[in-house]
Amino acid sequence: MEQTLQEIRSKALAALADVLTETELEVLRQSVFGKSGSLGLLLRGMGKLTPEERAAMGKIINETKAELEAAMGALRDTLQTEARERRFAAEALDVTEPGKNPLPKGALHPMTQTYRTIRDTLIGMGFTMFDGPEIEWDDNNFTLLNLPKDHPARDMQDTFYINEDVVLRTHTSPLEIRALQNLTPPFRLIMPGRVFRVDELDASHSPVFMQMEGFVVDKGLSMAHLKGTLETFIHALFGNDVQVRLRPSYFPFTEPSAEVDMSCTICGGTGAGCRVCKGTGWIEILGCGMTNPHELKNCGLDPNEWSAFAFGVGVDRVTSLKYGITDIRHQYENDARFLRQF
Amino acid sequence: MKLPKSWLTEYVNFDISDAEFIERMMHRGFEPEGVERELEQARGVLTGRIMRMEAHPNAARLRVCQVDMGTHSVQIVTNATNVREGAIVPVAVVGAEIGETTFTAATLRGVESYGMFCGCDTLGVTLDACVGCKAGEDGSGVLILPEGTPVGIDIAQALDMTDTIFDFSVTPNRPDCNSIIGLAREAAAALGQPLTTPGIPHIASAAAGQYASVRVEESLLCPRYTARVLRNIKIEPSPLWMQQRLRRMGQRPINNIVDITNYNLLEWGHPLHAFDLSCVTDGQIIVRKARAGEVVTTLDGKERPLDTDTLVIADANRPVAIAGVMGGANSEITDQTETVLLESAVFYAAGIRRTSKRLRHSTDSSVRFAKGVEAVNCKLALKRATQLIVELGAGEAVGEVLDVCAAELAERVAIVDIDHVNNILGLSIAPERMIELLATISIHAQRDNNTLRVQIPHWRTDIETGIQADADIAEEIGRLAGLSLIAPALLAGDSLGSIPSAFRAEDLVKDALAACGALEMYNYNFSSPAALALFGFTDERTRTVRLQNPFGEEQSLMRSSLYPGMLESAARNLRRKTGHGRFFEVGNIHIDAPGLPVEHKKIGLCYFGEDESFYTLKGSIERLLETFRVQNIRYTAAKQTAFQPGRCAEIWAGATKIGEMGQLHPDVTNSANISQPLYMAELSFAALLAASGESVKFTPIPRFPVVQRDLAVVVDDAREAAELASIIENTETDLIISDIRLFDVYRGANLPAGKKSLAYSFTLRAEDRTLSDAEIQSAFAAVIAALAANNAPIRS
Repeated sequence: MEQTLQEIRSKALAALADVLTETELEVLRQSVFGKSGSLGLLLRGMGKLTPEERAAMGKIINETKAELEAAMGALRDTLQTEARERRFAAEALDVTEPGKNPLPKGALHPMTQTYRTIRDTLIGMGFTMFDGPEIEWDDNNFTLLNLPKDHPARDMQDTFYINEDVVLRTHTSPLEIRALQNLTPPFRLIMPGRVFRVDELDASHSPVFMQMEGFVVDKGLSMAHLKGTLETFIHALFGNDVQVRLRPSYFPFTEPSAEVDMSCTICGGTGAGCRVCKGTGWIEILGCGMTNPHELKNCGLDPNEWSAFAFGVGVDRVTSLKYGITDIRHQYENDARFLRQF
Repeated sequence: MKLPKSWLTEYVNFDISDAEFIERMMHRGFEPEGVERELEQARGVLTGRIMRMEAHPNAARLRVCQVDMGTHSVQIVTNATNVREGAIVPVAVVGAEIGETTFTAATLRGVESYGMFCGCDTLGVTLDACVGCKAGEDGSGVLILPEGTPVGIDIAQALDMTDTIFDFSVTPNRPDCNSIIGLAREAAAALGQPLTTPGIPHIASAAAGQYASVRVEESLLCPRYTARVLRNIKIEPSPLWMQQRLRRMGQRPINNIVDITNYNLLEWGHPLHAFDLSCVTDGQIIVRKARAGEVVTTLDGKERPLDTDTLVIADANRPVAIAGVMGGANSEITDQTETVLLESAVFYAAGIRRTSKRLRHSTDSSVRFAKGVEAVNCKLALKRATQLIVELGAGEAVGEVLDVCAAELAERVAIVDIDHVNNILGLSIAPERMIELLATISIHAQRDNNTLRVQIPHWRTDIETGIQADADIAEEIGRLAGLSLIAPALLAGDSLGSIPSAFRAEDLVKDALAACGALEMYNYNFSSPAALALFGFTDERTRTVRLQNPFGEEQSLMRSSLYPGMLESAARNLRRKTGHGRFFEVGNIHIDAPGLPVEHKKIGLCYFGEDESFYTLKGSIERLLETFRVQNIRYTAAKQTAFQPGRCAEIWAGATKIGEMGQLHPDVTNSANISQPLYMAELSFAALLAASGESVKFTPIPRFPVVQRDLAVVVDDAREAAELASIIENTETDLIISDIRLFDVYRGANLPAGKKSLAYSFTLRAEDRTLSDAEIQSAFAAVIAALAANNAPIRS
């Protein structure tokens, strides 16, 4: 009997070596451990043995059974692992194939993005927002801003007229008048909007463009505050390495007035061979100044008590500089190949 | 304003580099517009005299010249026809450079040539600019220098073209700097040097007597009129130095009298006019408004009818000039002129501006008057011109200076608060330093406790004595001290930054549509009547706003709709095959109204391409309305000229119309050369905001499972999907019916003609229990019954 057991064992182990699949393994297992399996048959013969023989034999059988079960279990684990590996290999993907999107890529116009960057920086500095109409009273656009009819500086801004009293606003500065007439100071305002000038469309001029006016009214404001405010948002747009300078200039609605230059972001301010800054190392980015006392007085504020400063940024221009757009016309042609880039 | 260095250095010592000078001027408010170095491009071109000129042995059109270069002679072969023996000409000798060209020796048809004669073209100058020179026909050919020009010297030196000409932009508040003297005053301060202006002596009368009289009838329009009579006038060319200066400023010399008035305008910035006194009846100058029907022929030969607002200079009988704009031909200076009345006057800037505009004619004078001239300078300019005429022997002054003056000539004084000036600038400059800085531009000030008493020079018309005085002086101190001194400071005090809801909502609209795959457009606000007419509006959009001075008819209206701009951009994208068919715009439109036009913010959508349809457009609109939590939305079939019949809808939220959408009518798309369907929508931003839902309140998530059921009904083609969904939703049952979704629409085989099948899915649930099969079946049967009752049987 013991010999038979040894034969079953060696036969099973030999068969195990040939097993390739879990199904074959199951067949083999049944042939050994099944009801009519070889081990079962052997166990049935145990009845003929004496109790002593039975105990001894039972021990040997159990050992052999455990050995075979362990061997089969180990093989099952191996086969399962191999099967998963084969499946994984079969299911492997080409990760370089494109992803699937139900929608094309939408995008905000770069001007909107620039506007939001400037706005968000100023909001962080305690500004809020205010707006008004694109078509304005001549009074708001000019006269109350210290630019009466026949003022020579009206030539600085060629104007589209609706009639003698109504114009397409040439700048966002009429919003200063509306703010002064409607709000109670102190306040800090950002006033964005489209403005219009009789400029033929070319690479650097557009008859319609977007401006953003900053306007702060408070007591004790100085050009130092103006410079600090401008530097902060220019740094937010172009990075902290950019240099900012004020250069004396003239606007009828500010006194003193200044143009603001920043070091050229293309050549890094060296100017060497740079077409963007024309070799100067500086780029003009906006106009600003301390609000003219006449404007405050025109709107009922005492210029001895209140002070104010204002600045006007060309959002299109800043956008061009920020993204290196060489022709402003791109911003109004709405070519998808342009818009998709932002 | 141009500023030749040679002229500047007559008044100021110039001891820094040109670049440094330009930089300093810029930081004082004079933006550089350019700098020109005369004959900069020609190096090594020398003067030479042609000693001998012989025929070329091998070429009929060439000549072989022996040229005296001063120290030696060179042989040059030329094809020029305007040269002769003895002529002094510019020679680009071997080694000379003009622009990128370097001259070398050459053999021309077998004869050696050691350089080239130069003409104006080669040198890059105009013949007019080469004072005293000649050339061939129409200024071409070799430049012939005046007899007596030394040979062997540099051509720049020979032509007196060694100057550097700066050009600075002058802001409108500084009319005084539209003159050499004015700019030199600023330059002297920038250079840190004293300014020496030419002394202007009084010229006594050569012969006493009354030669002319002046009467001013309009003293508001002509606050000062000064004049001087000069006789024994000798009309001849002005001296070379003056011609050179005029040339450098871009002017052409004419004759001594005209040149002196022009020169004076450049030097002092005040326009003068010279009349031939023999043409002025009785020597009587009257400054008055033109009379009805009066006409004057101006110096340019044009006959100009005058209206009664035009200020003229007249004699007893007729106008002899349009004041400040142009002289009359009837009193013009000619070669025969013997006696001149020289006028220097102040005319009201706005008046000249209007006259010039009305005549559609501007002159150097009118431009200058329109910018503003000043009464003290007016008389100085007259005296300076008188001096030049006398000193140059062009005539002699007689009588006294005629002067009719209503202008205030007293010096103005501003009292300026020292602390306020420092507060404006954010600096702390000592009063003594302020006084010192102001003195560099001849503004004299004295300290009086906390104030400065500032004497405003007559030429600084921009500085006020009233409420703007502190700011004006702060501006001067700032630019003189340097704005770079100002240290940036942050705003102090509490201020809560915030984005008001309307601005936030605009962000939200744009973000939602960009998330739908649309690209944001910015179209112009201008539109053409034809483009708007195409859309056949019948509502307020017909009430357009017209520009008075548009670029052209094509851009003569303010858009009353976003459609035309979007259509144009769509056409551009299709033409360029950009491969994208989803766009949106948020922008304003204008509707005509009394006073200011009404402005509405609109949201426009424009979809096209094979993946797009009425329903993809609608999908994005639904998403947008969802973003704004709009309730009670209805899409109602509508008819509009712009849209294809049967493919247009109005969008409503309760009783508020939010906008419209549809497929553009083929007539509209065809007119833009688009042959495929185009889907557009225009929504009102204000209506969207008004319809947007309340803030969100949490609804408990259903605790018990839902059951989904599908069904399909067969209905007449004309029935609307929304109607049937509503029947399902409103079925009377104890269960909650929700999430009704149309998932299929079918027409065709297996269905009778004129019918369609609509397949819906929906969910059933109860708040408080898991549904039993019986409940589900009963509710489903109720839905079917409700549909059947409404003539919508289940598709079998």
